[in-house]
Amino acid sequence: MITITYLQHTVLDIPSLSIPKGQTAVIGPNGAGKSTLLRLIAGLVLPESGNISIDDTNPRTCTIGYVNEFPERNVVFTRVFDEIASPLRFLFYPCAKTDERVRNIAAQTGIAHLLKRRISDLSGGEMVLVALATALVAGPEVLVLDEVDSHTDPKTTDALNALLRSSGVPYCIRSTQQMDVAAQADQVIMLENGRVTDSGAPEAVFAGRGTTCFYPVSWRFAAWK
Amino acid sequence: MEVCRVEIILDGVTYSRGSFSLQATGRFTRGLHLISGPVGSGKSTLSQLIVGLLPPQQGTVCLPENARSTLSFQFPEHHITGWTVGEEIESWGHNKEAICSEDERIPPLQTAVSDLSRGEMKRLHLACLLAKDWDVIILDEPFASLDCREKTRLCRRLESLQETAIVLIFTHEQVHLPRVSYLWEMDGGILSCCGPVPEGISSWHNPPVHIREALSRQVLPKNITVNDTLEALCRIPD
Repeated sequence: MITITYLQHTVLDIPSLSIPKGQTAVIGPNGAGKSTLLRLIAGLVLPESGNISIDDTNPRTCTIGYVNEFPERNVVFTRVFDEIASPLRFLFYPCAKTDERVRNIAAQTGIAHLLKRRISDLSGGEMVLVALATALVAGPEVLVLDEVDSHTDPKTTDALNALLRSSGVPYCIRSTQQMDVAAQADQVIMLENGRVTDSGAPEAVFAGRGTTCFYPVSWRFAAWK
Repeated sequence: MEVCRVEIILDGVTYSRGSFSLQATGRFTRGLHLISGPVGSGKSTLSQLIVGLLPPQQGTVCLPENARSTLSFQFPEHHITGWTVGEEIESWGHNKEAICSEDERIPPLQTAVSDLSRGEMKRLHLACLLAKDWDVIILDEPFASLDCREKTRLCRRLESLQETAIVLIFTHEQVHLPRVSYLWEMDGGILSCCGPVPEGISSWHNPPVHIREALSRQVLPKNITVNDTLEALCRIPD
């Protein structure tokens, strides 16, 4: 369980929040604090006050894969292969094993054809997929994804969702502006003005939002049928 | 780049980079044109070819004579020139208060632009860009990172340009779409025209789920929005 207590950090004010294992979607308007919350869970920044723990340990002691909403800000190397290999190389993995895992994760994320390309030549969507492969390659305990689906087409988004489901990563926490993606998560957290206004199963969180744009379109059509 | 009267003409445009190659031929008249296509299909490359940021290797790109044209990049940070929200608005030659009164959700003027989320940055960028008068507007993924309220607002704003500008919208967006005049697709670097709306909807190879739902029931919506589709599905046959 990821446990957040008495968290106060910039716009965020969260007295208590528990995130169980599984797929968690964080939704809310721009500026609500979604990226800030994700950066705190990823251990990239420390809370000004309050506490965050992952299975009773400090996030900074966990293996965490993180994809920034500006993925190019986290890029270290110029070639796609080297970028994806970097978490393993920093852990001094054997070369042959690193090579095998990079090719494996690239195939799973559908970017095997990009391995020799320069990062600077990638499209926005391709850049996100490279960042995701890099986040997954070391087998993280927690995967934190900040709007990775903002720059992917529907087919790629579906493939991503399937990959995340089958990845075996215990905690996958992602922000999204696609309510149909959020509807497929195990739990949804709604953030507004830095506060959690709802959290729980998608059916419960979206139940009172049928008249707003924060409602999955696929559910509207399912209801129509 | 050549000039033409009131339309954009792509005539046998080709561009290659490594194993990727692009081919585009088409005419874009006044109104909203939606161009969809998968990741890596060449949408961003085509947008840059049209505004002259990339030179075609073959063929010609022709823009309307004396057109005031602009390109909005997929990533808003590529447009930023000011340190703060206020400086960024002024860098466009706009009055800060006027822009903020148009959009109350723009962050405080003294906020550092680097502290904005990508969604906030996109909103600021689009507010500044759309506050100017343009004849040609090329938008690369304008809806990416925006929340659903802002996407809806942007759709209405773009629809208001239908009569006055040529607007090309390159996007993956599936749900929050404006009413458009023409549909196009990019696939494997090749641009193809599905046709004018509504007729072109039935030729759309990879439409959003709600359109696919309507077409599977032999229902043709008047346009591509979710509301148009729901309305069409509920329409009582004559």
